[in-house]
Amino acid sequence: MEKKASMPNRERFVAFCRGERLGEVPLFDWFYRYWADTPSEWVKRGAPKEISTGKGFREYFQLSHLHGLEEVVSEINRADLKADTTVQGPGLYHPTPPIVPVFPIRVIKEDERHRVETAYSGAVVEVSKEFPWRMPKYLEYPVKDWATWKEYKKRLDPYTAERWPKDWWRFVEKRNSEDAPTMMLMAGFFGVLREWTGMERLLYMFYDDPKLVEDMMDQVLYLILGAARRVLHDLRIEAVRFWEDMAYRTGPLISPDMVRKFMAPRYKQVTDFLHSHGIDIIHIDSDGNVNELIPIWLECGINFPWPLEVAAGNDAVALRKKYGKNLIMAGNIDKRALIESKEATYKEVTSKVPYLVKTGGFFPGCDHVIPPDVPFENYKYLINLLREINGMEKLPE
Amino acid sequence: MADLLKSIAQNVQKGDDKQVVELVSKALKSKTAPLDILEKGLVPGIQALGKCFKEGTAYLPEVLIATRAMNRGVEVLKPQLANVDVPNKGNVVIGTVEGDMHDIGKNLVKLMLESNGFKVDDLGADVTPDVFVSAVKGRKVDIVAMSALLTMTMTAMPKVIDALKKAGLKPKVMIGGAPITREFADQIGAEGFAEDCVTAVDEATRLVKG
Repeated sequence: MEKKASMPNRERFVAFCRGERLGEVPLFDWFYRYWADTPSEWVKRGAPKEISTGKGFREYFQLSHLHGLEEVVSEINRADLKADTTVQGPGLYHPTPPIVPVFPIRVIKEDERHRVETAYSGAVVEVSKEFPWRMPKYLEYPVKDWATWKEYKKRLDPYTAERWPKDWWRFVEKRNSEDAPTMMLMAGFFGVLREWTGMERLLYMFYDDPKLVEDMMDQVLYLILGAARRVLHDLRIEAVRFWEDMAYRTGPLISPDMVRKFMAPRYKQVTDFLHSHGIDIIHIDSDGNVNELIPIWLECGINFPWPLEVAAGNDAVALRKKYGKNLIMAGNIDKRALIESKEATYKEVTSKVPYLVKTGGFFPGCDHVIPPDVPFENYKYLINLLREINGMEKLPE
Repeated sequence: MADLLKSIAQNVQKGDDKQVVELVSKALKSKTAPLDILEKGLVPGIQALGKCFKEGTAYLPEVLIATRAMNRGVEVLKPQLANVDVPNKGNVVIGTVEGDMHDIGKNLVKLMLESNGFKVDDLGADVTPDVFVSAVKGRKVDIVAMSALLTMTMTAMPKVIDALKKAGLKPKVMIGGAPITREFADQIGAEGFAEDCVTAVDEATRLVKG
């Protein structure tokens, strides 16, 4: 698909991360994920129907596959809930932290515009009927105190059978034989806690009951290390990802001092374990302005942030100048430019991508999953621009 | 008395609600005027914390615990303030726009505005333009504050502004949220823009003064 495609995809992905293959744009599908309603909106507006499935989308845009290990329930992205899209979203935009078993969905009340229901996560949410894929309003969270937490944590055991694909060895054989770089997905130490307690309650807890915060973090540590032991023993893994979403428009949701105190020692335990298994490509998903977090992440061995939202003040060019090749980066193509026009997209891409791919270790993509208000034509134009940098032909009309 | 008020301010800033309650009770017992306790003790405390937030030495947890400490102090004062003319900095109607269910940022802005002397009517999330209009009609509303987290929903903001105009209503409009910029605010005719809950207080203050 891409230039120099003779190198196997797994090795090629690692080479890009290591800052090799300079000047070439990596085009892996993980960095081109989309909101659940984006393909259907595009098809409604005349895009080819084939983009409606993940495989069809990947093939249409000729993207290489980077496999996020959603089959092992260790993060919010999880394959086990995706079959049931009738009542709620598939989990991606309605985060269901890695609990097994999930809570049953029960509709509590509804009117013309909204439906109040219990979610898989145990939260009570209000969903927009018009936009069911969008993030709901959270009315109640499952973890309120030590008593509710003690019950909840029973669902966070790495050794629960349902957390793993049914025929593990068959799954292992299939995955290991496929030439798709594979990324283990791990809960982080902030994002899932916020999903369990709600943000305000969690932020108060850092002061009011820090031991409870630490106990939740320790359970995450137990879960992800337990899962990682089995995954890394049996599967070929190229990278690991933490899901955090711990920043907003102007900075982190908690102070760098708190990150160092509460999170860094636990990150370090995980990354030391990963390093001992030869994994040093450690990705982290956090929206918002992450400039104050990056140096702490790097100290902890976490070296690959996404999505580097432009509106929140993240600038991949400046970050490259500051951190050099120590930092692998993904995203940072401003969604607002993609929404605006091809001209704005051109300006956005040419102002950063050539420099960043020449210095290596950059996976350009929309600075979050692609929203449906990005026109299909502009998105295709983006992919063609990136292909042009690679000296590849345009996608077929 | 000055020391006591200073101590109240310091404990608000630190977010020590128990100390604040104790000190406010002590100040009342020592016959300090309730309005002085509010304006020379509690309010300077929350303002000092706001300054730290802007300088990058305080973050959201510190904002929350300081706001809580202030509110606990206000609760102690409330019965004494009933017959006092407490200055209201302005009336604000706030909501997340239609199609958007996110309310964390909006709630934080509401909390900070209230702690800084504004009266806030919270319309919730996924608020349609006509609900904003109804909340403003026939009342003295200084500011309509709108929040949107998504590029898809920020487009609902100009619809609210149009609806207010069509209804002949002229409150100042302030907007915020992840994809919102000052340029976008200018483009749609919103007089105010805030990038976080602390600058929202400054912006609201500027709007009511202007």
